[in-house]
Amino acid sequence: MEWFWPEGMYTIVMVGVFAIASFVFKQPIAVALTIAAVTGALISGNGVPIDHLVEGSFGYLDTILIIICAMIFMKTLQHVGAMEAVAAWVTRKYRHRPFLLTMSITVFVMFPGMITGSSTAAVITAGAIVAPILLKLSVPPVKTAAAIAMAAIYGMAAPPVNIPAMIIGGGIDMPYVGFGIPLLVCTVPLAIFTGMLLMYPDLKRIAKSGKSENGGLENELKKMAHVPLTPRLLLPIFVLLALLGGERAFPSVSPSFGMPLAFLIAAGSGLLTGKKWNPYLASKEAVRASLPVSGILVGVGMFIQIMTLTGVRGFFVVSAISLPAWALYLGIATSMPVFGAVSAYGSATVLGVPFLLALLGRSEIIVGSALSLIAGLGDLMPPTALAGLFAAQVVGVENYFKVLKACIIPALVTALWGITIILGAQFF
Amino acid sequence: MIISWIYWVIVVLVILLVVRCLYEEKSLREQLVAAMVLIPLVLRALFIK
Repeated sequence: MEWFWPEGMYTIVMVGVFAIASFVFKQPIAVALTIAAVTGALISGNGVPIDHLVEGSFGYLDTILIIICAMIFMKTLQHVGAMEAVAAWVTRKYRHRPFLLTMSITVFVMFPGMITGSSTAAVITAGAIVAPILLKLSVPPVKTAAAIAMAAIYGMAAPPVNIPAMIIGGGIDMPYVGFGIPLLVCTVPLAIFTGMLLMYPDLKRIAKSGKSENGGLENELKKMAHVPLTPRLLLPIFVLLALLGGERAFPSVSPSFGMPLAFLIAAGSGLLTGKKWNPYLASKEAVRASLPVSGILVGVGMFIQIMTLTGVRGFFVVSAISLPAWALYLGIATSMPVFGAVSAYGSATVLGVPFLLALLGRSEIIVGSALSLIAGLGDLMPPTALAGLFAAQVVGVENYFKVLKACIIPALVTALWGITIILGAQFF
Repeated sequence: MIISWIYWVIVVLVILLVVRCLYEEKSLREQLVAAMVLIPLVLRALFIK
């Protein structure tokens, strides 16, 4: 018991207070995390360390700015009608080819997650657009929600922006460079598998029966395609690709704006698409949509700062490093998704870094990529369940646990794929 | 240097939007979340950290 005392006790109290505050007292996750952090500080004899709480709140400030600005970009695409136009075009083009439709919808849902690094952004922007299409195509609501949630999580893990990988890399001073291909290897096969499992059978059945010609779907597509899909409408996407891609492809020539500014410039180019929209309204909607995630990041920052202050974080690192190999892999596959109940970002910070330290000697970039993928599964874990809960809401499924049940097989395969990649990392 | 000031402007704009959302939000719990998000943003805008 000596190894467990007192840090293990602090862990149990902090996690317990968090669970009670969020489950029993129905506090927002951000507030529950802050209450748990303050309790942790109090029981460890540190009083209420305002300085540490404020310091912790800064932990993810850059991430918060990226998410808010990326959300402004996504809301711009929504307001100019580009998202709906693309979704309608893809559905019309591929509705008789279920495999291509499945893949297109998966990529469409992943896209906002890829550029914002947030599964929530993917669900509430692209997920909300494809949900009515999938329902009209007779995909059951629970499967629709599960497919959107899983695609959003793979989008969050896919390049170019993977915030858990940035956090894990930051923990061992590893720059976020060279992650592109490993992250694609981590996510693309899983995205294909999950799409085939959750959407393809129903889309194939509907395509074969000819019901994809039904009037309900056509009306939905007409509503969505009120703006014709032209290259000019996609200008914000081209500008973003030029700014982010140019910075990476020609670092000596292209100026480095940073992601938030690049997103805002790209969003500003939405004014040149020829479609009337209100930038203030789009920005306000974006900030409102980002507040829950931003609040969680502030809360996670405080929680982790107090974990560091009380020695709980060190306790995790020492425990992870001293685990035998089999327990280490089992621990990665189970504890990282479970800790996602706090937040996937928190899981990456608290568990991702010690696990990466325990696996030093393999390709750290590949291991970090796989760990970030497994951490992403935390966005299915209640009570936070950022991807799952929002997906259930978007589709109108009241009982989230039905969605979670439908996600179990893809989640298990994701964890296994992540472990396989970690095992394979020793050969690189 | 210019980039730093541009980012200061971005932070101030985000603060204004968060404050606006805070005032329009009716639920006290959601207002608390918005207030939490404001802490690091305001301190950054004031160059305190």
